[in-house]
Amino acid sequence: MQQQPQPQQPAPAKKKRKIRVPKVVNGVETMVEIEVDDEGGPQWGANDKHTLLNHRLTRVDGPLKVSGAAAYTYDRRVQGMLHGRVLRSPHAHARVLRIDASAARAIPGVKAIVGATNEDVVEGSNRAADEAEKRDRVEMGDAQTPKKKEREVRFAGEPIAAVAATTPEIAEDAIRAIKVTYERLPHVVRAEDAVKEGAPLVYPEGNLEEKEKRGDAQKVLAALEKSDIVLEAEYRTPILHHSCLETHGHVVDYRGTEATVYASTQGTFTIPGDAAKELGLKESAVTAIVEHMGGGFGSKFGIGIEGMMACQLAKQAGAPVKLMLTRRDEFALAGNRSGSWQKLKAGVGRDGRVLALYATQYQLGGLGDGSQAGQPYIYSVEQVYRERISIHTHEDSSRAMRAPGHPQAGFAMDSLMDELAYKMGIDPVEFRKKNLKDTVYHRQLDRGAREIGWERRNKTPGAGGLGPLRRGMGCAIGTWGGGGGPQCQVDVTVARDGTVVVAVGTQDLGTGTRTYTRAIVAEELGLQINQVTERIGSSKLGAANSSGGSTTSASLAPAVKDAAVNARLSMAGKLSGLLGGAKPEEIRFAQGRVLGGGKSLAWKQACASLPSAGITAHGEWKASLAGRGVHGVCFAEVEVDTETGHVRPIKMVHVQDIGLPLNRTGVESQINGGMIQSLGMALWEGRVMDARLGLQLNPGFGDYKLPGSLEMPELVPIIDDEDKREAVIGVGEPAIIPAVGALVNAIFNACGVRVRELPATPDKILMGLLKERRTV
Amino acid sequence: MADEHEKDAERRDGGGHNPSRRRFLKGVGVAGAGAALADHLLLKPETKAAQKEQGGRALSGTVNIALNVNGQKRNATVEPRTTLLNALRDHLEPAVTGPKLVCDAGTCGACTVLMEGKAVYSCLVLAVDAVGKHVTTVEGLGSPQDLSAVQAAFVEHDALMCGFCTPGFVTTISAYLKKNPNPTLEEVREACKGNFCRCGTYPRVFEAALAAARKGGSKA
Amino acid sequence: MKAFEWVSPKSLSEAVQMLKSAPAGEDADDAARAIAGGQDLLTTMKDYITRPTRVVNLKSIRGLDRIEGDGRKGLTIGALVTLAELEEHTEVRRSFPGLAEAAHSIATQQIRNLGTVGGNLCQRPRCWYYRLEEVVCLKKGGSECYAATGENKYNAIFGGGPSYIVHPSDLAPMLVALGASVSVTGSTATRTIPLDKFFTLPSEGNIRRENVLQNDELITQIRVPASGFAVHSTYLKFKERESLDFALSSVAAAIEMGPDKTIKQARIVLGGVAPIPWRVPKAEGFLTGKSLNQEVLSEAGRLALEGASPLEKNAYKVPLTQALVRRALMKASGLSA
Repeated sequence: MQQQPQPQQPAPAKKKRKIRVPKVVNGVETMVEIEVDDEGGPQWGANDKHTLLNHRLTRVDGPLKVSGAAAYTYDRRVQGMLHGRVLRSPHAHARVLRIDASAARAIPGVKAIVGATNEDVVEGSNRAADEAEKRDRVEMGDAQTPKKKEREVRFAGEPIAAVAATTPEIAEDAIRAIKVTYERLPHVVRAEDAVKEGAPLVYPEGNLEEKEKRGDAQKVLAALEKSDIVLEAEYRTPILHHSCLETHGHVVDYRGTEATVYASTQGTFTIPGDAAKELGLKESAVTAIVEHMGGGFGSKFGIGIEGMMACQLAKQAGAPVKLMLTRRDEFALAGNRSGSWQKLKAGVGRDGRVLALYATQYQLGGLGDGSQAGQPYIYSVEQVYRERISIHTHEDSSRAMRAPGHPQAGFAMDSLMDELAYKMGIDPVEFRKKNLKDTVYHRQLDRGAREIGWERRNKTPGAGGLGPLRRGMGCAIGTWGGGGGPQCQVDVTVARDGTVVVAVGTQDLGTGTRTYTRAIVAEELGLQINQVTERIGSSKLGAANSSGGSTTSASLAPAVKDAAVNARLSMAGKLSGLLGGAKPEEIRFAQGRVLGGGKSLAWKQACASLPSAGITAHGEWKASLAGRGVHGVCFAEVEVDTETGHVRPIKMVHVQDIGLPLNRTGVESQINGGMIQSLGMALWEGRVMDARLGLQLNPGFGDYKLPGSLEMPELVPIIDDEDKREAVIGVGEPAIIPAVGALVNAIFNACGVRVRELPATPDKILMGLLKERRTV
Repeated sequence: MADEHEKDAERRDGGGHNPSRRRFLKGVGVAGAGAALADHLLLKPETKAAQKEQGGRALSGTVNIALNVNGQKRNATVEPRTTLLNALRDHLEPAVTGPKLVCDAGTCGACTVLMEGKAVYSCLVLAVDAVGKHVTTVEGLGSPQDLSAVQAAFVEHDALMCGFCTPGFVTTISAYLKKNPNPTLEEVREACKGNFCRCGTYPRVFEAALAAARKGGSKA
Repeated sequence: MKAFEWVSPKSLSEAVQMLKSAPAGEDADDAARAIAGGQDLLTTMKDYITRPTRVVNLKSIRGLDRIEGDGRKGLTIGALVTLAELEEHTEVRRSFPGLAEAAHSIATQQIRNLGTVGGNLCQRPRCWYYRLEEVVCLKKGGSECYAATGENKYNAIFGGGPSYIVHPSDLAPMLVALGASVSVTGSTATRTIPLDKFFTLPSEGNIRRENVLQNDELITQIRVPASGFAVHSTYLKFKERESLDFALSSVAAAIEMGPDKTIKQARIVLGGVAPIPWRVPKAEGFLTGKSLNQEVLSEAGRLALEGASPLEKNAYKVPLTQALVRRALMKASGLSA
């Protein structure tokens, strides 16, 4: 990390100040305090004065992706590579008595077999012989033998073993030839069963785990007494699947003393340490490569059990191994968004102010804790009591998924607000404003209402339209913290031939990292975007943070900007002589020219005057360039067929503040994507478990229904340019939050059926209509 | 829970059937069978087991096939159960990895290729069944330096994010525009209803398809 | 997918012979299978629900891929005709519009480009218990239909028990409504079976299958007779997800109008609600001689669903299907678009 020449002024001892920044571990952000220079630092300048940023930029990796040339982890093939597959438990809860892989080992082409944990003894695997020396074995069919550290599986799909073979077909045969003896144990996979007396225990301590208790319950109950209107309701959201199109997995190119690990990950730098441990190498001997990756949405940090097994297989076979999860594996063991079960009781005063809220929030994260934003989500309520409790079940642990905990909480709170508004007979938008202190929401609600045509909506739910088709509108709001932190180390090189390279080990999840990284440098140097190339996706490049919690751009962009500024100043210093001795900070870089001292150099000409090595400048995160904290609102219009229960989304509008939009096209695409994922959550998606069997019944894209082309409404993504913050803030998470509530509220407005349990499928709506006798 | 389903559950252990029992049939019982494949499809059984000892032309074990991919003859060693998708991705050298393996069940469209000009899910075609047919993958439509009209429109309209579904959309829409060069928005939506995207690029995919149509459709 | 032997016969008799001569597996689902488009078969093989030791490729047999005839003579559809060919066929669209609509409603372009008419009729159930390899349900030789008391939102409201699958074919209800029959070739004989006798209820046939075919029998063609109602036929399919889904419920309807604008003859067959295409003769009979109005439509809908016995989670199928019956009748009679 070389220090770049600073501007002429003598540098005074820098004052420091403490700030709080988000730190993301496995996609979940926590705030940590750090010390930064207490100085102005570089500035972006006014949002409307940029030449490339805040414009419509063309995605730079587009041509590679549309032609099949982009190399994803799944596409990698290295010399001598074997194909790995995972054997999963078919039982939700069982003791593993014996794993016999002898028959698998005998299949020609099978090169390695490993157990899923270091405790597993897999008979027939190479390692078994060594392991047998070290530990007591569970003897075949002899249940009386004292067992040592017996493995217990606690969800259907938990990995048992993995194999590597010369072809994917042989690997598939091999996992099926492994004979596993289980002793089945009672399981529980539904929250309502798990809270029952005598339910099978997921953890010895019990199935309920208190996460938070806040507020004065007595005061809330008293306030409820005094309220004019009291409403009590339960809201539920099912477990959702990230459904990354590229499954989790790696290609471990193990070469004995070093390894390259191609990973489909949201964190390039989360890979080498994990992999090195499994491979028995030094971390520096492992390089992670993430050129392109096919979706993560919060589920891809670290190498995971599939990566651990891939490493062990590679080591055992002494050969490279590709282990990508199958789609079935992906549903079973690659994480999910926790479900929720929220019991809310609220009271409203005559003036339309929410006076009290009593919230019992269950988060359904299977073996994990799950996540849920605390109630009341965003709205201000005078007296609040809430408790958040995890209910554990024999299901795989939830992971972070795009805005962890927010869509669940937002759906419930904005449904409740909607119910209260109708009960009070107040316009749902006005009712929301009465209970929102932050006026940014007022502005955004007005904007959204205008865009959707709120004045056209039904005043009476179910009354709009003729015949069986009824239209309605709804709205909801969201918030996210995001923000950036000081992890990124960026280098910009300008060569004498005029080429500019910006290098940092970060990853592009499809969010447009490559594009804005180029654009920031190009804008700073007065170039076109295609005059800069980026090198990313390698742990051998400058450090970068993981892409979680919408922190990538707010962490990376400032460091890129800093590096670009330093490159400009460094170059200007070298060119000063040619530009009439102009001071570096007075030399301008614009429209492919370098200007100063009344002179002007073309870019090529300027670069040709650089020292033979060109110049390299380094950049780090600057607090002055990043922001955090965003607001968003969504309005939705739907049409409900009251004879079939079918819901047709007509239009969705999402208004989002974001500080400085780096690439307007990219931001809009991401907002669209958020709305669409939220639409999926509202209307179709949800894991279905069979309580008796303990199995997921819809572990594929046939039965786990993602929205498709015919489900698309007109989508209107709106960047809230009233936000004048000259700071970069991520938009990944916030875009997914409010649409789900807006849609469900629109369904109510359309047909009078309040769906409190997602997804809002035709069966629920139709039965709801029947109950309300609104159907023929 | 001592009910009948305990027994069924026992049968789940070990994953159902046991492949160590698999048989390669060695030509058993196909006497008198015709020779349709071997006659015209460039197929050559690799193993003795697969040969026509008893007059049958059964293919089993591993077989060498030649596929016609993007106008080139490509040799591969596959099994009868190898899908066209896996043959392209795992059994050709160099690999053809534009078509993506995502659902492996004909429910997502990421593996869409053109076979005799028609969009098909290559995960639901056996490689041995693709012999003798013209297969076009997204690579065959254009290269990064020379994009087809559809590909260029995808880039221009930001019709992709992570890009994993993109090759499937590009091939599907390219095939459709050949059939219907001037589609309406509704027709485009209908045409790509067998392709799913998780990042949420649909609106821009529709824009790209319509823009490509205005520019004269797919040149491929 | 389990390894198998791939054979490509040149004639039907060879194909039948190859199916018959394949070694019997341990289980019915290990038996040899014929493949045409493979759009369903391969999914069952990938999930190890079927594990054929031999796969007999029918596409090497000539002459099974033609559509012949017209509205006056009736149609003969070869078993290997693809769903895309069927939906796009001019004469089918003109004289048997419901059949073109049913074909078009199936899955996606990609699947219709390869999937065949014969394959569509012989596809296996979509019940998620059946489709999960881990679940050894009644349809797979197990002891219990897990849908009966489990997650049965998509299961049968008619004709269920002991298995509660619904038949997934979209062509089947329409073809039954049109009075179609299938020609079947086997090792012993060639026979013609009216399509409404082709599918079997779990309570009356081999529970491991959905139709009367023996393992060495093949559908060779489908015959759709000329009729007064074919030209007024329609197929309405209701899906939870429009883009790609099987029917939660569907209605195939065909109406022949008399000169006095009353219904001379009506055919109504329900899909997605029973283990077989579900005919509703009572509703059909009721409609004879009636002219359609709201009251008649409602009564027809009510009668069509009479006797339905929903499971815990699929009662919605009753009002849903009633609505579809009303709409299908309106559409078939030209009262709505």
